[in-house]
Amino acid sequence: MNFIRPDSLIIQEDDCILVTGAAGFIGCRVVDALLKSGFQNLRCLTRPSSKMNRLEKVLRAHQGGAQVMIMTGNLLSTQDCAIAAKGAAVVFHLAAGRGEKSFPDAFMNSVVTTRNLLDACVAEGSLRRFVNMSSFAVYRNFGNPKGRVLDESAPVEEHPELRGNSYCFAKTEQDKLVEDYGRRFKVPYVMVRPGWVYGPGNPGIHGRVGISTFGVFLHLGGGNPMPLTYVDNCADAMVLAGLTKGVDGEVFNVVDDNLPSSRKFLRLYKHNVRRFKSIYVPHALTYSLCGIWEWYSNWSMGQLPPVFNRKMWHATWKRTRYSNAKLKSRVGWQPAVTTSEGLRRHFESCREGEAHA
Amino acid sequence: MLKAAIVGCGKIADDHAEQIQRIKDCHIVGVCDREPLMARQLYQRFPIKQYFQNLDDLLNEAKPDVVHITTPPQSHFSIAKACLEAGCHVYVEKPFTLDEADAKELLAIADARGLKVTAGHDDQFRHSARRVRQLIQSGYLGGPPIHLESYFCYELGRGGFAGALLNDKNYWVRRLPGGLLHNIISHGIARIAEHLVSDAPTVIAHGFISPFLRGTGETQLIDELRVIISEECGTTAYFTFSSQMRPSLHQFHVYGSKNGLILDQDQETVIKLSGQRYVSYLEKFVPPVSMAKQNLSNAMTNVRRFLKRDFHMKSGMKFLIESFYRSIVEDTPVPIPYREIILTAHIMDQIFGQLGVSSEPEHAAPSLETAIR
Repeated sequence: MNFIRPDSLIIQEDDCILVTGAAGFIGCRVVDALLKSGFQNLRCLTRPSSKMNRLEKVLRAHQGGAQVMIMTGNLLSTQDCAIAAKGAAVVFHLAAGRGEKSFPDAFMNSVVTTRNLLDACVAEGSLRRFVNMSSFAVYRNFGNPKGRVLDESAPVEEHPELRGNSYCFAKTEQDKLVEDYGRRFKVPYVMVRPGWVYGPGNPGIHGRVGISTFGVFLHLGGGNPMPLTYVDNCADAMVLAGLTKGVDGEVFNVVDDNLPSSRKFLRLYKHNVRRFKSIYVPHALTYSLCGIWEWYSNWSMGQLPPVFNRKMWHATWKRTRYSNAKLKSRVGWQPAVTTSEGLRRHFESCREGEAHA
Repeated sequence: MLKAAIVGCGKIADDHAEQIQRIKDCHIVGVCDREPLMARQLYQRFPIKQYFQNLDDLLNEAKPDVVHITTPPQSHFSIAKACLEAGCHVYVEKPFTLDEADAKELLAIADARGLKVTAGHDDQFRHSARRVRQLIQSGYLGGPPIHLESYFCYELGRGGFAGALLNDKNYWVRRLPGGLLHNIISHGIARIAEHLVSDAPTVIAHGFISPFLRGTGETQLIDELRVIISEECGTTAYFTFSSQMRPSLHQFHVYGSKNGLILDQDQETVIKLSGQRYVSYLEKFVPPVSMAKQNLSNAMTNVRRFLKRDFHMKSGMKFLIESFYRSIVEDTPVPIPYREIILTAHIMDQIFGQLGVSSEPEHAAPSLETAIR
């Protein structure tokens, strides 16, 4: 757990903090981190369909005198947004349309919702910082001026619609919208871009490691470092970036230290969770196959959707190193959970999930 | 060059934009959504000239020849009427309108103005559906259909459309007179309507909430429906909608006095059922071999179409749009006769009337629940 020096805070402990997506995988950890940091006035926005057990567990663990309001609402409703933003000094905006395959659905649940919330914040006038949960998915990772190190200066996708990935499109557009509100309405914001957030509650193997198809796991990551961040470390990073003075308009990438390679992750997963067959596909081959798929998708006018393409390959499977130097130097973040401990907890949770499957 | 426009920029609008851009001699001159961000995202992703927030602006500035209406069904009638009054032909997504009366009024407006209209029953124009139509027209059944069976199922998962529907008590589908059924069954009903001759067949409907859905606390959405339809001339039909049965079928069976046909939309296959009987044990040997041969032939046809780039998931929509545009340009009959559109709406009205489904949305006002510890 990272603690912020009181003189570095942009708010007082009893100022109102809104957390959207508070019942989610990361959201409930952000609530936990805020309560542990001593903040007394939290408003947790959850969807009507949210499973509340994680958030309730967090709240039960904190028996202090904090006032925590749980609000059930939908960010597509301007009325709900107005209620949620009322008096909020800091907004941690984690709600997003994850898992939506359709571009319009992903866009609506990420961009339209964010616009509604920003409008409500602007109208309310009490906002001191808007913390936008972004993602590594927005980075182009092609022609990166720093070669193979991906940091906050890396270019963002200019045409995310060409990546064939609705999440990338929606998140990139969401980031642009927040920047636009920063320029036009002087909304003070920070962007937090985590890599692959892992930990109990988010089982499975990320596509950066490989994909399962026709009963075989294709290992595509090879020796690539995995941009992992343990969920508690990510929540700490969000809280620090959201509350530390002097970082308005900044972007922070979040990855832990001592990142394992894709190969090592897969080996550990097989050893600790379950054994299965996997086939390694070399990078040159995956790049060529992505190129062929992209060509075929264009040639056939979408008979196969353009879900694999060269832009996607660069963003997902190109060998890249990652930096968390800015996060450490500007807001004093340190990963409280080491990668080895994080992986142990993650695999333990995956194993329990497998046992109950 | 035909100028097309799309009103309503949600999920189904993507399919329309994709198919329109595959058609020669037409382009999308504008898209419109009352949520400007949604209009802009569609404009960003497809070769579209302009986007609008206001329908009048779209009609006045982009001046489309044909407008595709892909909004929620509650607004189909008013938007289609405005487009027709502005002199545009219209393609209205399914369900065409909320009821038969609205359908009749829209089609009358179109007729009075010399404009053309079609409904989004694109499943009837898939490769397999066209093959069935061709076989029936060639007399394969041995006369008019005696019995029809249409299965149109829908798996209720937790994500996407179903997730939004089940989790959001204010979701627009819940406000339709026929709820979930209203938004989905028109494809399956239209398949039957195509082969009926009466304008007012007898309809007997039985609908209920599945035990699965009831177990989730659902009290309003009917997700199981069985319908019997009969005509005075003797033709009968069964319609089945289910969220629970597996496989989740999308099939159409049609039986005549001589032979029958089975269309499987998911597998894109057509199986001929011969009325001929073989003597003794040959009946056990010959038909299965014939079935195997037909299935292999279907598979080969599908592979061939795929290799020829003619096997898109929305091939039916492309064919319907192309046929509709051709009917506009060449002033030929529309691909879906208006009688079928009205009959589909009539049967759906009869079903919802018998189920007694309510158009009242469940109350789900924003709630603030305070837990002060």
